Amino acid sequence: MTGSVRMEGQTGGKPLGQQAESLAEKMQEVRAEISKAIVGQGEVVDGVLIALLAGGHVLLEGAPGLGKTMLVRTLAQAVALKYSRIQFTPDLMPADVIGTAVVQENGDGRKSLGFQPGPIFANLLLADEINRATPKTQSALLEAMQEKQVTVAHTSHQLEEPFFVMATQNPLEMEGTYPLPEAQLDRFLFKLRVPFPGREDLHDILDRTTQGAATAVVPVVNGAQIMEMRQVVRTVPVAPHVQEYVVKLVLATHPEGRENVLASKYIRYGSSPRGAQTLILGGKVRALLDGRFNVSLEDVRALLLPALRHRIILNFEAQADGRTTDDLLDEIAGKINKN
Amino acid sequence: MPARGKNKSAAPMVQSGSALFSALKSKWNESLAWSRKQPGASRETRGLDLEDQNWASALHTLIDPLLAIRRRILTNTFLAGWMKLWTWILAGIIVAGALSPKLKWALILAGALLVIGAIAVAIVAWRARPSAYEAARRLDSAAGLHDRISTAIHLASIENPDGMILRQRQDAVQRAARVSPQILFPIRMPDAARRAIVIGMAAASLLVYRIHYKPPIAALLRSTARSQLVQSILSPIVHAMEKDLQRTMALMKTKPDSQNDKARPGQSDTAPDDLWKASDDPASKSEDGQQNSQEANAADQMQDQPPSSMQSGQGESKPGDSEQQQEGGQQSQQSSNGSQRMSGDAQQEQSQSQSADNKQSLSQALMQALKNMLSNSQSQQASNQGNQKQPNSPGMPQSGNSRQPGSGEGDKKGDSRGSSDAQQKATQNSSSGAGSQQGSKELKKDQVSNPVNAVPDRVALESNGFKEQTRVRMDAGTGTAQLPVRDVVPQAVAVTNGAEQENIPARYRWYIQHYFEHPEGGQK
Repeated sequence: MTGSVRMEGQTGGKPLGQQAESLAEKMQEVRAEISKAIVGQGEVVDGVLIALLAGGHVLLEGAPGLGKTMLVRTLAQAVALKYSRIQFTPDLMPADVIGTAVVQENGDGRKSLGFQPGPIFANLLLADEINRATPKTQSALLEAMQEKQVTVAHTSHQLEEPFFVMATQNPLEMEGTYPLPEAQLDRFLFKLRVPFPGREDLHDILDRTTQGAATAVVPVVNGAQIMEMRQVVRTVPVAPHVQEYVVKLVLATHPEGRENVLASKYIRYGSSPRGAQTLILGGKVRALLDGRFNVSLEDVRALLLPALRHRIILNFEAQADGRTTDDLLDEIAGKINKN
Repeated sequence: MPARGKNKSAAPMVQSGSALFSALKSKWNESLAWSRKQPGASRETRGLDLEDQNWASALHTLIDPLLAIRRRILTNTFLAGWMKLWTWILAGIIVAGALSPKLKWALILAGALLVIGAIAVAIVAWRARPSAYEAARRLDSAAGLHDRISTAIHLASIENPDGMILRQRQDAVQRAARVSPQILFPIRMPDAARRAIVIGMAAASLLVYRIHYKPPIAALLRSTARSQLVQSILSPIVHAMEKDLQRTMALMKTKPDSQNDKARPGQSDTAPDDLWKASDDPASKSEDGQQNSQEANAADQMQDQPPSSMQSGQGESKPGDSEQQQEGGQQSQQSSNGSQRMSGDAQQEQSQSQSADNKQSLSQALMQALKNMLSNSQSQQASNQGNQKQPNSPGMPQSGNSRQPGSGEGDKKGDSRGSSDAQQKATQNSSSGAGSQQGSKELKKDQVSNPVNAVPDRVALESNGFKEQTRVRMDAGTGTAQLPVRDVVPQAVAVTNGAEQENIPARYRWYIQHYFEHPEGGQK
C-alpha cells in the first residue's frame, strides 16, 4: 500500500488529478462513439475499455452475430489505433500470425533475409475465433501478449504500444476447435461473455442496420493518450481492506485451503496471481471511470467474474453437477467477509 | 561451593519469575492489541487514532464526524453489554427470590455485580472501541461512500500530497460533509432491552410477593411431593423395590440352609415338599429354607446335588394334582411310601393358620398365594377335563386337596399312609383325594380316556437337560405308569413299596411357579 502512496505527482505535464478527471471524460466520449455502432452491451463495452486502460487483453465469448467483431472494429476506429484482424483457422501457422523471414532484394541487387511482420504488428489485434487454430498457432500469441514482443529467427521484435488483443470464440460450435490452454487463458485480463441483446436493443439494432447508411465513428483518443491514461490508472490508491478482500477472493478459489469447502469440492485449479492483479488494476480503472479516485470493494466485486472466470478450472464433479465458474465465484464471494 | 550451588539454584527461580512476568506482560499486550486489531487494516492504519494523530489540515473536517461516529458506536456497545448483564442479574434475582428464603444478601450481591459489571462492560467497550480507520469504514459502508473516507484516512499521514492523493482527499472531504452521523449511527435501544424490561417486571413482582410470602418454588416443590399424582407414580415403583428387596433378603437368609442341606442329603427329603408347605413346625421350617434355596439356585443346584439326595426326595409327598392321585389310584399307591408325609391341604391349613400367628415372611406368603392358585387351577382343570383319566406319573406322590387323617402322623413319623391311602379311597369312591372334598372331582370310569398332551402341573420326574416345556403323553392304565418323557432316567432307588416316585427338578418347579403366576402364558 505504501507503493500507492509513493506516486508521481504528474504525468505528461498535467497534474494527476486533472488527468484522472480528463480520463473519465475521454472514456465517456469513447463509450459514446462505440454506442453509435454497438447497441446495448454496456457491460461488454465497459469491460473492453477497462482492459484497454489496464493494459490487458480481452477474450470475448458469445454466439455468432452478437457483434463481437463489430465491437472490436468500432473500438479501433474510436481510439484511432492501428487495427488488424486474424481469422484463426486450423491450417493457420504461427508465421502467419507473427511474420516470417523472407528473401529480400536490395537496391543493388543483393539478396538477404528480411523480416516480414505479420498481422500481429498492430495496436489493436482481433483474433477472430481463436479456438479454431491449432495450439501451435495459439501459442504464437503467448510471447506477444505478455511481453509485447515476438521472436523470429532469434531476433526479437518489439510490438508497438498500446498492444491490445481482443480474441473471440464461439461457445456453441466446439467441433474442430482447440480449447485454449490455461497459460493462454491466463494472459487475458478479462473474459467477457457477450449476451444476446434484449427486446429494445434488438429493435434498435434493426433500426440502425436496416435503414440508411451506417453511422461513422469518430476517433476521440489516440494511442499516446491511452498510454498516459495507463500511467494515471496505476496511481489510484487502494485501501488496505480492499486489497485484503482481493487476496481473500483469490485464495478462496484454491482447493488447497481447508476453509475453502466449495473450492475443494468443485475447483481443480484456482486463480493465479494475475487474477489478483487484474482485480486491482481493473478496480482502479473502474473507479476512475466512475468518477472516484480510490478503489472500493464494489469495484472488486463487479470485476470478479470477468477477471476470474477463465482462471479457475473446474473438476469433474462440478461438471457432473452442472456447476459453472460464475456460480462458484458468486458463492465464494458471498461467503467472504468484506471486513 | 554450596553458596555457588545455592546461587545456581536461586538464579533460575529469579529468571523464571522474571520470565513469567515478561510472558504475562506480553500476553496482556497481545490481548490488548488483539482487542484493538481491525481486520484488513495495515500496521500503520491500525496505529491511527483520532485523538493523538497529527492529521493533515485538509482532513480536519473528517475528524469530527468520525469522532461522533465512534462515540455513538461506543455508547451502543456499552448499552448492549450492560443490558445483557442487567438481564442476567435480573434472572439471578428471580431465581434467588423463588428459591432462597434469604433475599437480602442476594439483592446486595446483585447490586454489587451490577456496578462491577457496568465498570467491566465500560472497560471492555472502551478497549474495543473502533479506530479511526474502522470508524471510517463503517461510515463508508453506512453512507455508501465506496471506501472514500477509509482510503483518505489510510493516506492521512501524507502531508502536502499532490496528484491523485490530493484529489482523493478532496473528494472524501466533500462526501463526508454531506453525511450525518446522527442519522447513520443513532443511539439505539439494545435488542435485549425489551427482554430486560419484562424480566425486571417479573423480578419486581416477585420481590413484592416475597414481602409477605415464602419462596414460591420451595413451597411448590413441597406441595407437589405430596400430590396424589406423584404418589400414584411413585408408589408402584416403591412397592416393587420393596418387594425385590424383601426377596433378596429372603434368599440371602435361606442360602446357608441350602448349603447345609447339601451337606446332609438325608435331610433334604423334605425340601421339595416345603415349596408347597408353609407349616410352622420345626421340620417344615427347616425345609422352608431348603425350598427357598432351591428356588434361588434353580436347576444348577439340582444338578449339583448328588443322586442320592435327588432320589431321597422322590418319596416326599407333594401337593398339587389331586386329580392325578384320585384317578390313578393304583398308581398312587406306589407313591404312598413311608417317606411321604402329609397331603397338601393339611399343610395349607397348617401353614395358613400358623402364618397368621407367626408373621411369615413375604416369601412364605408368596408361596402360600401360589399354593392357593395351584389348588384353584387344579379344580378348574378338573372341571374342564371332566372324567378324563389322567395317568399318574410314577413316583409322583401328589396329595392335592385330599385330606388324610393320618397325614400329620406321617409327617412326624416319616412313614405315613399318606396319599396312598387317599388314593386308594379315591379309586373306590371316585372322589378326588378322598378327603373332605368329595364330589368335586368325580371320575367317570366308563368314559374312555384319550391320551392328551397335557402339561402336568408337577411332574415328579427327574429330567435333565430340559429346556422347554415338557409335554407328557400319558395313557391311563391300571397299576402301570408309562412316561414317554424324553431324557428321563428311571431311578431304581425311587421304587419303594411298589410305587415310583421321582423328584421334581428344580428347573421344572420354577416353571410351575411361573405357570401359576402367569396362567395365560403357561397354558400355551
